Amino acid sequence: MMTHDAATAAFELRGLRREFGDKLAVDDVNLRVPPGSFYGLVGPNGAGKTTALSMAVGLLRPSAGTAYVDGIDVWDDPVEAKRHLGVLPDGLALPERLTGGELLTYWGRFRGMERATVAARTAELLRVLELEEAERLGTLVGEYSTGMRKKIGLATALLHTPSVLVLDEPYEAVDPVSARVLTGILRRFTAAGGSIVLSSHVMPLVEQLCDRVAIIADGRVVADGTLDEVRAGSTLDDRFVELVGSADLQEGDLTWIGS
Amino acid sequence: MDRLLISLKFTMLRHSSLGLRGIGWVLGALFVVATWTAAVLAAPEARHDVLTLAFALWAAGAALGPVLLSGRSVLQPGYFALLPLRSAEVGRGLLMSVFVSIASGFVLLAFAAALVPAFLGGPGAVLVALVGAPLTWVLAITASRLVFGLLGAAMRSKVGVEIAAIQFGLMFAGMFTGWMIVQVVVESVPRLLTVGIPAPALTAVLDALPTSWVVLAVEAAASGDLLGALAPLGALVLLDGVLLAITIPLLAPRPTAAARSRRARPRSVGWVAGGGLLPATPTGAVIAKELRQWWRDPWRALELRTGVWTGLTIGLIALISGTYSPLSAFAGLIVAFMLGLSACNLYGQDGSAVWQTIVGENDGSVRADVRGRQWAAVLLFLPQALLLSAIFVALSGQWWTIPVLAAALPATIGAASGAAILTSAVGVSPGVDPRLRVGPNDANGNIGLHVWVVILLITIGVAPTGAAIAATVIWPSTASVVLAVIVGVLNGVGAAWFLGSLAIGYLQGRMPDVYSRIRYARIFREKSEGILGSIENATLLGEQKLAEQKKKEREERIKAAAR
Repeated sequence: MMTHDAATAAFELRGLRREFGDKLAVDDVNLRVPPGSFYGLVGPNGAGKTTALSMAVGLLRPSAGTAYVDGIDVWDDPVEAKRHLGVLPDGLALPERLTGGELLTYWGRFRGMERATVAARTAELLRVLELEEAERLGTLVGEYSTGMRKKIGLATALLHTPSVLVLDEPYEAVDPVSARVLTGILRRFTAAGGSIVLSSHVMPLVEQLCDRVAIIADGRVVADGTLDEVRAGSTLDDRFVELVGSADLQEGDLTWIGS
Repeated sequence: MDRLLISLKFTMLRHSSLGLRGIGWVLGALFVVATWTAAVLAAPEARHDVLTLAFALWAAGAALGPVLLSGRSVLQPGYFALLPLRSAEVGRGLLMSVFVSIASGFVLLAFAAALVPAFLGGPGAVLVALVGAPLTWVLAITASRLVFGLLGAAMRSKVGVEIAAIQFGLMFAGMFTGWMIVQVVVESVPRLLTVGIPAPALTAVLDALPTSWVVLAVEAAASGDLLGALAPLGALVLLDGVLLAITIPLLAPRPTAAARSRRARPRSVGWVAGGGLLPATPTGAVIAKELRQWWRDPWRALELRTGVWTGLTIGLIALISGTYSPLSAFAGLIVAFMLGLSACNLYGQDGSAVWQTIVGENDGSVRADVRGRQWAAVLLFLPQALLLSAIFVALSGQWWTIPVLAAALPATIGAASGAAILTSAVGVSPGVDPRLRVGPNDANGNIGLHVWVVILLITIGVAPTGAAIAATVIWPSTASVVLAVIVGVLNGVGAAWFLGSLAIGYLQGRMPDVYSRIRYARIFREKSEGILGSIENATLLGEQKLAEQKKKEREERIKAAAR
């Protein structure tokens, strides 16, 4: 495993670009995630966050550009790069007819991990993420709530001890209690030297968690840097609206509600 | 309210593709024409039997059709759960919306064939037919909804899956043994039209069916028997009322629908602890996952059960046909063959879950995935093929088929597992993404071509065994029989290994494209060359044409709206 030094970014998106027919979904996206940092990716719906991350983790072929994990090219040496990468995609299916425990057991063994290690980590992850009750009842992943799906997804991303986590909307529909657990796990991960890229719509969450932020709109990075650089003295929310634009409610709109 | 629901339904249908519905309309129109033609052409003494049989078949078709063709009713009761309406009102509206459809129109037209004997019987008989035909129509459509409702949206229960599997099994068996059935029909139609049904027991049962009452009423009216005409009509009115009373509450939204039934006992503690019979290797992990998916996923289970029911039905048809009854001993072989068709779109069926195989890529991951899927399919289909073989060999008494089966079964199941995984890899055809599936046809996209590729691959794949079995006929001896069995086993292992290797070689480095096909319905790379490449392109084209057609329909609607 490569050592982290200042010169090598933990995760880097270089010139990523993707067209769908005539539509340019991601336009020359560059991002540098230093080791140990907690990186927030924010942008409106359809801005290209998921598309950019899909290309960066090896799911979607880029039209141009590539991504590096600990200096390893994701598209040139996928096997080595993916060893370092833990991924939580948004809105994708899982083997829906397994229980959470069965899914983690399958996943660990599929990745060639030791039987005993898989068993121990599976039990621990289910306990910490409060999925034990569902496991005891034999609840299938397909019957999980959205929040539970996020949690089991995070467990699959963590199971093989990656050094970089790429999480697409990890807090969506997660209840406040579980969110604290999630935050605790992620903070421990960065404290131990790991790096996280997280996409979200929720500005206060990003402000609270991340030390670096990038704002994406229309497939381009419109601002990036440390949280303070991007906020530029204002709040992230205001800065975001300023850069992306907004449709404010006008005086004469919807006067009939509540009447 | 009822009018609103009907217009909502047509609005939603305009946004769905024509596809199967189009085929259904053409078939429906043909059946209506056939019904009227038969009614007109039938000899006077046979007309009664022809009509009662045709009406019974129409009612059966109306009951089974929705499950086979559409699966999902367009308007779901859940849509209206939050509206301030009494649930009986919604139920009635939903039922009314079923009556107003093309298919239901065909059913009405078919029952109107009761007018044929009525015209010959005078104005009174015509009046009776004009009242009786719509009453029979209400009966058939309401019963159809009742059956559909009782299936509990078929795919939500084990029993529902089994019923759907029986229907698909019957359909496949009908396609495979079509020549047997066609022969029987061709022989019997002229006889039916001239002398009717020769078995009195059968005609008695037919006459008792409510769908036949309109015919009885018309006949009574024609002969001037007023009471005999009114009694069946009255009974129809009564039965319609009872059916409507049962069906409307069934269709209404229920507040408790969200409560899911839970299994009584936990099922995975042993596995979580890391135990289990399968090897703790990547391939073992895939086998375990696949076995569970086959057992627990209603759509996979449907494929599996359909294979068994197809074999069973073909065996039974052959067994009772007389002429072909020795062939029934090969029913188990059909199950082995059905593995190929059932598993010909595994990656497409898994939908976007394939991301895991890509993100978890390592040196042996593609091999483990392909081999694991092959093993799981064989482990599930082989025992059922063996069981069915044992049953039908015993029933038919064709003991000589045992060595033939011992050679043919391993060869077929091996070739089928290889053909299936290769076709799955090259022709990824996603249906509805797993969590959104409702109807029995939701799991696959367009697999018309896949079926033929699989059939071709299996046929070529088992050729050596075919030759070895032929040799036992030309040179009958113990040695040639033993040799055939050895060839069969080696053939099966070899075909599974070789076709699986082709799949592994093809998928190596192409997993992101499998994902692209599922998520974006296209491939972001140069087109592939060679035979596999052309199958890849052809199946992808099939998907894209479907998407293109939908897009065009949408654009035309936008244009029409702008005008």
